[in-house]
Formats: sequence, structure tokens, C-alpha cells
Amino acid sequence: MITQLLSAEWLKIKRKGLWFLALLGPVGVVALQMVNYGVRKDYLLSQSDDDWSYYLSNVAGFTPLALVLGLVILTSFMASIENETNAWKQWIALPISKMSVYVSKFVIVAILLFVSSCILAILTLLYGKTLGLGENIPWLQLLSNSFYPYLACLALVGLHLWFAVIIPNQGVTISIGIMGVIICMMSYYLPDWVIWKWPTLINDWNNPLINVVIGVGTAIILLVIGMWDFNRRDVA
Amino acid sequence: MEYIIETKRLSKSFGKERAVNSINMRIRQGEIYGFLGPNGAGKTTTIRMLLGLMKASSGSIQIFGKDITKNKLEILRDIGSLVENPSYYPHLTAYENLEVIRKVINVPKERIDEVLDIVRLTDVKRKKVKGFSLGMKQRLGIAAALLHQPKLLILDEPTNGLDPAGIIEIRELIKSLPSRYGMTVLISSHLLSEIDQMATSVGVVSKGELVFQDSIGQMRQIAKAKIIIQCSDAMQASQLLKGIEIPLEVEEDSIHLLEPTNECVANVVSTLVHKGHQVYRVQEVKRSLEEIFLQMTEKGQRR
Repeated sequence: MITQLLSAEWLKIKRKGLWFLALLGPVGVVALQMVNYGVRKDYLLSQSDDDWSYYLSNVAGFTPLALVLGLVILTSFMASIENETNAWKQWIALPISKMSVYVSKFVIVAILLFVSSCILAILTLLYGKTLGLGENIPWLQLLSNSFYPYLACLALVGLHLWFAVIIPNQGVTISIGIMGVIICMMSYYLPDWVIWKWPTLINDWNNPLINVVIGVGTAIILLVIGMWDFNRRDVA
Repeated sequence: MEYIIETKRLSKSFGKERAVNSINMRIRQGEIYGFLGPNGAGKTTTIRMLLGLMKASSGSIQIFGKDITKNKLEILRDIGSLVENPSYYPHLTAYENLEVIRKVINVPKERIDEVLDIVRLTDVKRKKVKGFSLGMKQRLGIAAALLHQPKLLILDEPTNGLDPAGIIEIRELIKSLPSRYGMTVLISSHLLSEIDQMATSVGVVSKGELVFQDSIGQMRQIAKAKIIIQCSDAMQASQLLKGIEIPLEVEEDSIHLLEPTNECVANVVSTLVHKGHQVYRVQEVKRSLEEIFLQMTEKGQRR
């Protein structure tokens, strides 16, 4: 059932530029470093002995923002594609369970963001190589910088998909999302429990894995709550 | 299983407002059931409950002899539906729109071309639905409803917003479904003439209550003809007829016999003639279904 649903959802987002968006995010993040290193490479290289690590942490500064913004747009899109002509009523009247409909939407967003994260890892590596930062590439840091924020932000995917599905006005959900991005930018000053802080991987214990575990755990909880709530609601 | 659809005391409330009140709907196999009522009477709400889109506040729904709350997916497998305005994905072509649905209902790809042919959209199947006229979108909606060869088709105001040619086309299509595919059809409308031309049985809903439910023939029966007698001095003539004890109405220049049997008409005419009235015209007038509909819904509103 879920594979059929996913295949249908992929077809629904055809020609909607979502793949382009998935590409745009990581390109934007690395492009910012292109500007950064293009303008003041010598200064930046003098800042640290480990040029690769320093470069990666510069990239990582913008990754959470791009992810949060991306997930807000994607989740909102997954709902608005049905809202546009109220296709919910047609879709839900088919012999498919409402819960799996909800899960399929979540999975699509998760896959698109995962692809973005892969592209981010590749682009980060490629641009890093052109900068000539040395032969010692810190692979582990490269991968964790690319995928930990993704895993930590899945909780927000759960939250925003829920908002997008229950709030008919996508202006409201996007506004909440923009607020989230701003909160995310200030996350250094915020307590660890703030969900928008998680993708930044910052916490009091200085251990990014904590954010990953909490992010994934909360994602599952929010997915189940969203599913239950969606199933309970009448389709207008 | 006597009925394809059977609801028992089906009700739905939104807050304090009771949108559907204790409806006992019964639809037999092979019927085209016209679900008739003015806008806001509760037709769409009832249909949404039948499709499991909304949960009933109280009462039960049995479709194909199974309870919808327990066997929803199994029941939906045999229902095709079009609820209110057609739903579609405007950026996809007609073919892709049906393909999206086909992917989750497991029917062969050829079926898409078949239904496109039934609703005559084959020529435009590679065009985006964005540019379709309302009639074409509506037909695409019907194609989607027919895709999995349902046993029961539920169409909510399928001719809404169509031009006369489109209405006739859809009507002919719907009328042919029970004989061609053995389908049972539930079709809602706020237009009596519409239902009169398609349905084999009728349910009339007003203010959330089912005020009438029977065959279309029975409904027409209620529309019994009345006899209008035009004569000299209708007022005085009606005084004469008081002795015969038949239900009648008097207007300026005519007497209306409301339940005219042959004897009754003969009796009235001979009485009038014998008493020296001049009878100019005796004519039979059928009450339009519109009148009956209004009468029923008014009754419903008075309750």
C-alpha cells in the first residue's frame, strides 16, 4: 500500500519544481561559501590550522537554516497540492487508509530532504577540493555535517506537516515556518528543548548525536500524533 | 442483502447545528437514486458520511450489507465518487490525473483509456487539466469515479455548472450505467427536473430530514392531476357543490377539484348544468413536480 501511495505522490509533484528546490538548497549553502572564500580566502585560511575542518564548520553555519526553510516549503507544498482543488475528498474516498496517506506525505518530504543532504555532501566536498585545503579530508565530519542536521530536523518535518495539513491557510503555516527560521538563527541563545534549535546540533553537552537521537525520536512521536489527528478529522 | 445502501437514524451535527437528522436511506441494487433537496439541506454531508469522509454523530451506515465504521476500505473498493466540485491536479494531464488514482487502486493501465473514452476525453488526454473547461473537468471527475469499475457510484451534483449540452451528455451517461455495468447510482441534485429525468427512485431531503423516499413513479403519483372547471359565477357554483362533499378550491372564475375521480367529475358537472350554470371548460392539469417538491420541503421546514 505505502509503495503504491509513494509512487502516486511522486507523480503528483511532477512539474512542480520540488526537485529543483531540493537542489537549490544545498547549492545555495555552498554558494554562500563560494562568496565567502572568494572574497577573503587568505583571511579565512589564516584563521585555523585545520583548513578543512574550518571550511566545513563555515558550511555548517547555513545548513540548518536552509533545511528548516526547505522543510517548511516542502511540507506546506504537500498539503497545498491537495488543498488547491480540495483533492483531499477524492483522495480519501479511495480505498486507502488515511494514516498511510499521511505517512506517504512525510516520507516524500524526508526523501527530498535526504537527497538535498546528499547533494550538500557532494558539493561541499567538490568545492572544498577546488579550494586546495589539503589532502587530509575529514570524511566523518563531512558526513556528519551533511546528515546530522537532516536527521535532527525530521522532528520539524513531523511538526510542520501536521500544521500544513490541519491549517487550511498555508500563509499561516509558512509564517510559522519563517518564525522558526528566525528562531533557528538565534538558537545559540536558546535553551536546548527548543525544537528549532535541534538542526544546528548545538547543545549543552557539546554532543551533536544527542540532537540527532532526540530529533529522530520526536519525529516518530510527532508523526504518530499527526497521523492520529489527521485520521480523526472530517474531510471538508 | 436487500439494500446496497441502508442508513439507520443517520445524524450529523456541527456544534449545535444539526446538518443531518435521523435519515433512514434505502437504496436497492441497480437503482438510480435521486437525492433531492435545496442547497444546504444536508445532501453533501450525508454523502460525505457515506464515503467515510466524515464520521456520523449518531446512527449507522450499511453499504453492501457491511458497516462502514468497521469495513471502510473494503466498502470503498467498490465505490466510485464525485463530491461537489471536481478535484484534480491542475499541473498534470488528464491521463496523469487518472494515473495518480490508478496507482493506488490496482487496475490495469488500459482502464485509463477505457474511462477516458467513456467520458470522451481521449483527444485531450495529454493536455494539462488546468486549461480544461468546467464540463471537461467534471467529466474527468466521472472518469476517475469509474476507473475501478465500482458497483456503486456516488455523484454529488454532477451537472453543477455545466451547459445544457453537457448536462444532457452526463445525464445520458449516468442513465446508461446500471444497464451497461450493473452499477447502482446515487445522484444528488437540487433540481427536480434533473432527478425526474434520471432517477428510478427518489429521496427528498429538507433541513437535514428525509421528507420523502419512494420510487419516482410514486412521486409522480403524488402529483395527481386536478380538474379545473371554468363556469359562470364560480363562487355561487361552489356553494352548490358543498352538498357533494369533495375537496375543492375556488378561484375567481374556476373551481379546482383536487381529488377528481370519474364519478366525482361527472357528478359535479351534472350538478352545475342542472342548476343552470354554464360550464365553459373542464380541463385536467398536472401538478408540476416543482410544486410537490415545494410542498414537501415546506412540510419539512414546518416540523
